[in-house]
Amino acid sequence: MLLKGLLDDFPVLQRTINGKNLIYLDSAASSLKPSKVVDKVAEFYSYHYANVHRAVHTLASESTEMMENSRSNIAKLLNAESEEIVFTSGTTMSINFIVESFVRTGILKKNDAVLVTAVEHHANFVPWLRMSKLHGFSFKAVKPSGRFGELLIDDFAQFTGENPKILAITGHSNVTGQVINIKKIRELFPDTILIVDGAQLLPHNKVDVKDLNIDFLVFSAHKMLGPSGIGVLYGKKKLLEKMEPFLYGGEMIDKVTLEDVTFNVLPYKFEAGTPHIAGIVGFGVAVDYLNSIGFENISEHVSELTQYAIDKISKLDFVEIYGPLNEEHHAILSFNIDGVHPHDVAHMLDQEFGIAVRSGHHCAQPLMSILKDESKLSLFPNATCRASFYIYNTKDDIDILVDGIKFVKRWFS
Amino acid sequence: MYSELVMDYAKLTKYKGKLNNATFIQEGKNLSCGDEITLYVKIESDKVKEIKFEGIGCAISQASANLMIETVSGKNLSEVKEIIKNAVAMARGEEFSEEVLETVAQLADIKNYPMRIKCFLLAWKTLEMALNEK
Repeated sequence: MLLKGLLDDFPVLQRTINGKNLIYLDSAASSLKPSKVVDKVAEFYSYHYANVHRAVHTLASESTEMMENSRSNIAKLLNAESEEIVFTSGTTMSINFIVESFVRTGILKKNDAVLVTAVEHHANFVPWLRMSKLHGFSFKAVKPSGRFGELLIDDFAQFTGENPKILAITGHSNVTGQVINIKKIRELFPDTILIVDGAQLLPHNKVDVKDLNIDFLVFSAHKMLGPSGIGVLYGKKKLLEKMEPFLYGGEMIDKVTLEDVTFNVLPYKFEAGTPHIAGIVGFGVAVDYLNSIGFENISEHVSELTQYAIDKISKLDFVEIYGPLNEEHHAILSFNIDGVHPHDVAHMLDQEFGIAVRSGHHCAQPLMSILKDESKLSLFPNATCRASFYIYNTKDDIDILVDGIKFVKRWFS
Repeated sequence: MYSELVMDYAKLTKYKGKLNNATFIQEGKNLSCGDEITLYVKIESDKVKEIKFEGIGCAISQASANLMIETVSGKNLSEVKEIIKNAVAMARGEEFSEEVLETVAQLADIKNYPMRIKCFLLAWKTLEMALNEK
């Protein structure tokens, strides 16, 4: 079985919370970290750390080599080239980076059309919306017509005639748990610049950027066992080469005169200042760890847990589950208990059962208003509770969650 | 945290709704969960004559709003400001006067739940904004 011995890799799972064993169901917000990653970061800082690229001494050379090994590790994971992997602080920064650079470069101009979806996380919604107002390009959102925020392929098909310049979509919703069929969407929009927010997708799936013909893929290390504050912007070389940098200074410089400046080659052209070196090194170890388990095994394990949770929780008539209920629903289960605010649910699950779930609008307010329209609850709280599963979760965790949900309902009745 | 008192005050409907003749109306938001509250406050001869509120929220925010209204009703504005000051201090785990806060003091445990302090303070901060605007 996938989990045999694996739980020992996550020391925090030995903790008790309010006298109960910790059950961590908040991996969609940020995953736990295995000892291998934590130890590597500590070892790196203790014995190898120096700034990268600039110096010739031993520590600088070790530091640079370890960082660049991570880059090639990540490139291999995506079936990309190392120079196409730009390190950023995370998904949000990567998306803001693309939007800003597109405007500066003139890739995005007045009269161009940008298409996103209404289920996007704010990070892949607000930058496009705001910049459309500042720079005059059009901004439209595909509205989901399926069950509770479920995007159907026809929802996208309606926009093919508009010939959008850019399509920026999530690969896996952080609220509805729906995994989006990128291949089908690419077929609908063969000539559009396709940007995939992979923050929730990458922890569970190996994504081949060439096979899917993705132009940009962005994701964060901290949701896939790596350190926080580090993320990736994958971009096709021919696009990255055209693009104006987002931040200026440090490693991204080639030559500066009193009159002008030229920039470094890819990917350094986009990596201004001293990067989060230890974070990058730790992320490389996290990717190795995930590879050693195997993404197919991860996906299968999490899928089994998700379906188990959906089966059990959908039997509770006082609970509303959001998103599709079929196999497209993966890893993330958003729900509400009728008559109980999600903050109260989350607080009580923590206090009484040691269960960590997220509550709130999950930085997806447009989607919350869509869920509200379809909700049958006596009062929709503009927020949901979200349980999210990863490699270190078991069916026992879900059984306890179900007990917890029943307990909360009884308490508030 | 979910004591009988909190649960009772969370379910109270007495102070819910609009005031048609409110002296001022103030909206407040809790950004982390999207909860919103609208306070309708009626001031007469420097005294809080009546307050009602609209909005949905968690048990803690609703109980806190109801307790706040019960406590500040009938008090003059300087007393209300003193009550708000003490409630904020209580939530932050600082010194406060139980005498000033009356029943609200029974929610002192809120200081032990940093993530819920915002829920508790939503109504209080909204009232504070309203009084500052005045």
